[in-house]
Amino acid sequence: MLEFRNVSFSFAGRRGTVEVLHNVSFACKEDEIVAVIGPSGCGKSTLLSLAVGLRQPSGGEVLVDGRPAKGADRRLGMLFQQTTLLPWRSVVENVELGLEIRGEPKAARRRRAMELITQYGLAGFERKFPHALSGGMQKRTALAQTLAAEPTVLLLDEPFAALDAQTRVVIENDVVNICRSGKRTMLLVTHDIAEAISMADRVVVLSRRPATVKEIYEIPLSREAKSVGDVPGMPGFTQYFNRIWHALDISVAGADAAA
Amino acid sequence: MTARLSHRFVVIAGRLAVLVVILIGTELGVRYGVLSELFFSSPSQIWKALLTQLSSGSFLTDSGITIFETLLGLFCGSLLGMTVGLVLPQLRFVSNVFEPFLMVLNGIPVIVIAPLFILWLGLGILSKIGISVYIVFFAMFIPVYTGSLRLDTTLVDALQVMGATRLQTFWKVIVPSSLPSVYTGLKIGSGLALIGAVIGEFVASRSGLGHMILYASGTLDTPTLYLGIITLAAFAAILSFTIDALGPVLVPWRFSDEK
Repeated sequence: MLEFRNVSFSFAGRRGTVEVLHNVSFACKEDEIVAVIGPSGCGKSTLLSLAVGLRQPSGGEVLVDGRPAKGADRRLGMLFQQTTLLPWRSVVENVELGLEIRGEPKAARRRRAMELITQYGLAGFERKFPHALSGGMQKRTALAQTLAAEPTVLLLDEPFAALDAQTRVVIENDVVNICRSGKRTMLLVTHDIAEAISMADRVVVLSRRPATVKEIYEIPLSREAKSVGDVPGMPGFTQYFNRIWHALDISVAGADAAA
Repeated sequence: MTARLSHRFVVIAGRLAVLVVILIGTELGVRYGVLSELFFSSPSQIWKALLTQLSSGSFLTDSGITIFETLLGLFCGSLLGMTVGLVLPQLRFVSNVFEPFLMVLNGIPVIVIAPLFILWLGLGILSKIGISVYIVFFAMFIPVYTGSLRLDTTLVDALQVMGATRLQTFWKVIVPSSLPSVYTGLKIGSGLALIGAVIGEFVASRSGLGHMILYASGTLDTPTLYLGIITLAAFAAILSFTIDALGPVLVPWRFSDEK
């Protein structure tokens, strides 16, 4: 369980203090997938860096299982938007990195890494360098790396944005299954409304900067669907899509000019 | 495929032809008085000079000394340049204070610094090694230092989220990501190490190939002068090939281009 309680964040900019987040409160329960969506630059990724301690909130607190998250927390695992695989390490060396940092013995961490590699369809590629893999396989490697540390809360910062449409659905589906089968909490930051509806149980819509929670939608489609790829075809999808689109209140230049 | 092979064959044949033309041209030119013996030496004269040197001269000792100075200068200078280049960016205050001094020092031509090293370290090999270390240091320091200022901070963030200490981040991210710059530094430094050693020998010395060349020039012993130049050229070529061969060892992920 991950909870943001009255979280604010601001930083000193060139022209005075810039407030990014203002009194943001919401929670992700165990076995729940929450998507955060908001206009570009509204500070949705900042939420994640506050949770993992890369930045400190200027107000409020972030709680993991009721206790304040401080600095690097074993219970949290993060999947970044950019590739964070170390280019000089092979796939298996990358997967075991988190365990290595914790000081697990070599044999044990290698065994665990190989299990995950097999599980995520990377068998046969464990000795390759990341750049020799496709974008989808790199993402799987990063996912295996994050899961190797067995976090209870998964944080995803637009991790699928750079993938092609087909690979993307496959990996989104994997992530949803991992979350549902392992009783994990997942917080997904995205700018993609369809992705949010397809994966999440709840969608939190943030306003423009300084971002506040504008709306929260309970969406049952993801849990009912067999696969993430089926959700856009389900009845109700379009209505949710339109409601979130209007809540986002993004002005399209052409539409404004026409109006 | 055959077209490419025959192209390579023609290139190699062309190179051999150039070499043969130079050898035969100087041999005949000097023998028949077209080229002055004062300014040019024929291959057979240089060969004779080599044999005389081997039986009674100091050629082997001189070569050994210059090679030793160069290799030691390259090793110590690279190690020093790498260490300072990696550690300095970690200490922001020290880095800010020292950066302008290092940049000014780097700008001084080595030839004007050389007499100072002779003054400090004497006429022996120590001053030559000192000069070599001095220029190799900058050849290594500059790429490593600027490289670590351009470090991919996402990788550092990712490790921090996994709970890595600053020291772990240093060894697992900062040091390996500097290896391509280290390779660049070695490539530039290997040429400069030899220049440093020979410049030192030119300024003041009792032995070494630089000394031999200077002595031969002073006594109008043109064949020995050419012998010295050719020996230095051969050593420089071998050193450069060796450093090139180190690439796949030092930065294997840059050299494995399999997809």
